[in-house]
Amino acid sequence: MRATTHKSIRDLKRQWRQVAAVAVTIMLGVMVYIATAGAYQNLSASYQETYDRLAFADYVATGGDPADVATAATDAGASDAITRLQIDPPMLIEDTKLLGRVVGMPTDAHPAIDDVDVIDGDYFDDGATDQVLLETHAAETFDVGPGDTLQIFGLDGWETVTVQGVVDSPEYLWAARSRQDIMSDPHSFAVVYAPEDMAEQWFGEGPNQALALMPADASDDDGDAVEQAMRDAGATAITPWEDQASNATLSEDLDGFDEMSKAFPALFMIAAGVASWVLLARRIIQERPIIGTLMASGARRGRVLRHYLGQGIVIGAIGSVLGVALGMLANRAVTTAYTGFVGVPDTVIHNYPWMIAIGLAFGIVVGILGALGPAITASRTAPAAAMRAAGSSKPPGAWSRMVARLDWLPVSARMALRDIVRSRKRTFATMLGTVLALILVLASSGMMTSIVQAVNLQYTEINLEDATVAAQKGAGVDDALADVDGVSAVEPTTLGQVTIVADDDSYATLLHGYEPDTTMHGFRSQDGSFIDLPTDGVLIGQAVIDLLDVGVGDSITLSTDAGDTDVTIAGFLDEPIGTSVYTTNDAAATILPETSAEAYALSFDEGVNRDEMRQTITQLDGVVAYQDTRAIISTIDDYLGLFWAFIGIMILLGAILAFAVMYVTMAVNVVERTGELATLRAAGAPVRKVAGAIAVESLLATIIAIPLGLWLGAVAAQQFLNTFNNDLFQLDLMWSWWVLPAAALGVLAAALISQIPAARAVKKVDIATVVRERAA
Amino acid sequence: MTATTTTSLAAQMRDGYKDYGTGEMAVRALDGVSVDIARSEFTAIMGPSGSGKSTLLHTLAGLDRLTAGESSISDIVITTLSEAQVTEVRRNNIGFVFQSFNLIPSLTARENITLPIDIAGDKVDKEWFDEIIGILGLADRLTHLPAELSGGQQQRVAVARALVSRPEIIFADEPSGNLDSRSGAELLGFMRRAVKEFGQTIVMVTHDPTAASYADRILFLEDGKIVDEMRDPSAEKVLDRMKQMGH
Repeated sequence: MRATTHKSIRDLKRQWRQVAAVAVTIMLGVMVYIATAGAYQNLSASYQETYDRLAFADYVATGGDPADVATAATDAGASDAITRLQIDPPMLIEDTKLLGRVVGMPTDAHPAIDDVDVIDGDYFDDGATDQVLLETHAAETFDVGPGDTLQIFGLDGWETVTVQGVVDSPEYLWAARSRQDIMSDPHSFAVVYAPEDMAEQWFGEGPNQALALMPADASDDDGDAVEQAMRDAGATAITPWEDQASNATLSEDLDGFDEMSKAFPALFMIAAGVASWVLLARRIIQERPIIGTLMASGARRGRVLRHYLGQGIVIGAIGSVLGVALGMLANRAVTTAYTGFVGVPDTVIHNYPWMIAIGLAFGIVVGILGALGPAITASRTAPAAAMRAAGSSKPPGAWSRMVARLDWLPVSARMALRDIVRSRKRTFATMLGTVLALILVLASSGMMTSIVQAVNLQYTEINLEDATVAAQKGAGVDDALADVDGVSAVEPTTLGQVTIVADDDSYATLLHGYEPDTTMHGFRSQDGSFIDLPTDGVLIGQAVIDLLDVGVGDSITLSTDAGDTDVTIAGFLDEPIGTSVYTTNDAAATILPETSAEAYALSFDEGVNRDEMRQTITQLDGVVAYQDTRAIISTIDDYLGLFWAFIGIMILLGAILAFAVMYVTMAVNVVERTGELATLRAAGAPVRKVAGAIAVESLLATIIAIPLGLWLGAVAAQQFLNTFNNDLFQLDLMWSWWVLPAAALGVLAAALISQIPAARAVKKVDIATVVRERAA
Repeated sequence: MTATTTTSLAAQMRDGYKDYGTGEMAVRALDGVSVDIARSEFTAIMGPSGSGKSTLLHTLAGLDRLTAGESSISDIVITTLSEAQVTEVRRNNIGFVFQSFNLIPSLTARENITLPIDIAGDKVDKEWFDEIIGILGLADRLTHLPAELSGGQQQRVAVARALVSRPEIIFADEPSGNLDSRSGAELLGFMRRAVKEFGQTIVMVTHDPTAASYADRILFLEDGKIVDEMRDPSAEKVLDRMKQMGH
């Protein structure tokens, strides 16, 4: 082995702690990349596996004659098309009344499209009339399984049916009634698959949906052709698979993984690159005479360049190999945990070779980039440098001279203030570590706190009702509801599916009707103020501005089974969750088809027992469905456990990142100044004082960087949130008051902890060894 | 490599000028120096601080370039060569001994000694290596790191490193400057032996009249010019001469 190779290996071993800190930072970056990019790929593949296996519909159309629409789809190139009935009737499951969903299915065979996976019990017996299959989320919520019964409200009243099996469905991996209703009280929604003939008999309707499945190799153009054919055959609303409520909701998470797989590793890689740069740059300054000696002895510049680049490559390779290994484990863990949490029937776990190659390359490239600047500097060293002493002998600048005059300050404080500008690269690295750590922590915590705040805003200032009730029309339920102890207000409301049509674009959503002076809903305008519900025209969620290219005053068409109604847009609303249409009950009644049910919004007195309210109200005659709006918040609170775990991991990673960068800069600081520190120690300065001076310098750099880090962290968090914004979510960056101070304190704590090994290093300074090494 | 045959001298300089800076800030470090360094001779360069000693050493050794004039190592005129070519000349023809030793802390004494050969990609001449090590008394120190050696031992390692590749010429910059008088005397004795026994050519910059007295010849520099030369010096004669220069 060549002497310079020996030198590289031993240099890295001598600085193993700093090398380890840089390698760990690279490792974390690569690990996060492999874990998040892998999870993105695996989750996509897992969904796709389920979709393929269960023939998830590419298009679901309503309107027109579904049989004609299905025929048109197959004629236009769809590999298969079916029709079915889907209807949302009241249900009674385990004493809970709710507005469920019945989907018709053949009993003699599984459906060709949107099949289900029976996970408990059996599929229908051929010709069954009183059997249903219950979607797994409802089965879990109500603890209902095969053999249990439930009731469905049809034209002839309550129909009692028996659960034949519990099923997974590609349409309800995320159990959402619609894109506007992706987060709801789990007790308020259940999907029941019923024999098609029976369903049609219960509700007195024929099939109202046409489902089309495209060939595996179909192009976008093929899809467009089928969609157009279905539309030409009379379909008024067509939902492609991408926009299907469950898929669209889960895609949001997938996109999150995709964004994370790029943004978060980048932060670690920048930090690692800078730490590596500081480490090697400082050593090269120290080794100038040695480099000069090498060059005086005939070493070419390229060799010196390769010598130091090689050290960066070794650090990068160590970090990336470990990162890939841990990333592969993390990829498996994240994918398995996520598919288990969501309940995806198929879990595909691959460690993609290209991803591993990118992960390895990332680490090595970061090692190279971190070493490149110092290596170039080294290769440009004049051979005559061998004749000069190491270190800079630049005269003190204005700052140092000014600090020197502050003789009222203790010497250690003056040292710290002077050293801030003594090594700008080191100070810059400390500041960068602070900034990157804050970006990482704030981007993740900002996303989470914004979601929490958005939910709070949605359910405390916008959705003001405590519960909604569906009741049989004309049953006098409103009076009965008002008489219930604990109910403070009752208002009639209206709810129905509409398709907004503007020129050639359309968007399927919910139409909500309220009383003009409603106290059940706050209408939050785009400037954040609350406005009244107009009696003329409709209010719409602001996402349609881009979706349909419409503005205030424009006329749009609301299409329903009752026909088309032209309305004017009176204003846009800034609501965090969903994109709905709002109008008065009177106007809604003219737009929506006649139904046998009516709806009410309720508000409760402060402090009522909500379980008792549910119990009391659902037992009232005429009440067919009940939804506790606040239960949504507890559902979200359940998920928040995951959110906070995620934030916790990110804060931990951010702290490690900050610690690693600061540790390297601190260690370099100590190494650079061993002569000075040894002199101070020899002169009798206690370790505490010497280490304190270094700590003050580091903390000073950290404190200076905190405002910039907080600002950039906020910008990054907003950018990160923007990637999630669409018609399902409109998230603005919102912090709790404590987030920014906590993040700043967290980084300061990491900086403080990083002083511990530095203080130890100061303590270990061996004056005699330093003198001998300096001589060498 | 372009090589112009000049003389059989180990090194020489003709009308060497070296300026640092430009315009009014320019400082002339060498002012028309012409000098011949004969083979197998121990030459010392002396002069007051700022006289141009180090600049003369650097430009002779190809560590720095002349502003004007010509210098050569052996038969090779280095002032016209590219940097890569000068590097090759240094690798094949020159050894260095530095005041602060410049040993690589992470390499053992043996690895430090064989470093120039390693850089050149050549094989170590074991017989020659053992002879040098024997003379310098380093046989039992070869596996030690520099921090585990005394100052005198470190500088002996540095001398061994300069000798190991049998260079045409060794340039030494205050080699005994960081050593106590006994270690310094030992070191200079070794260097003297290398000249007498192996025919090594050595050029040494020093402030120390005693160190200079080990040389065959002393060049005195003042204001970038060679102002005197002394053969067969003694410490007293050198001291007297330096006093005349106001040193």
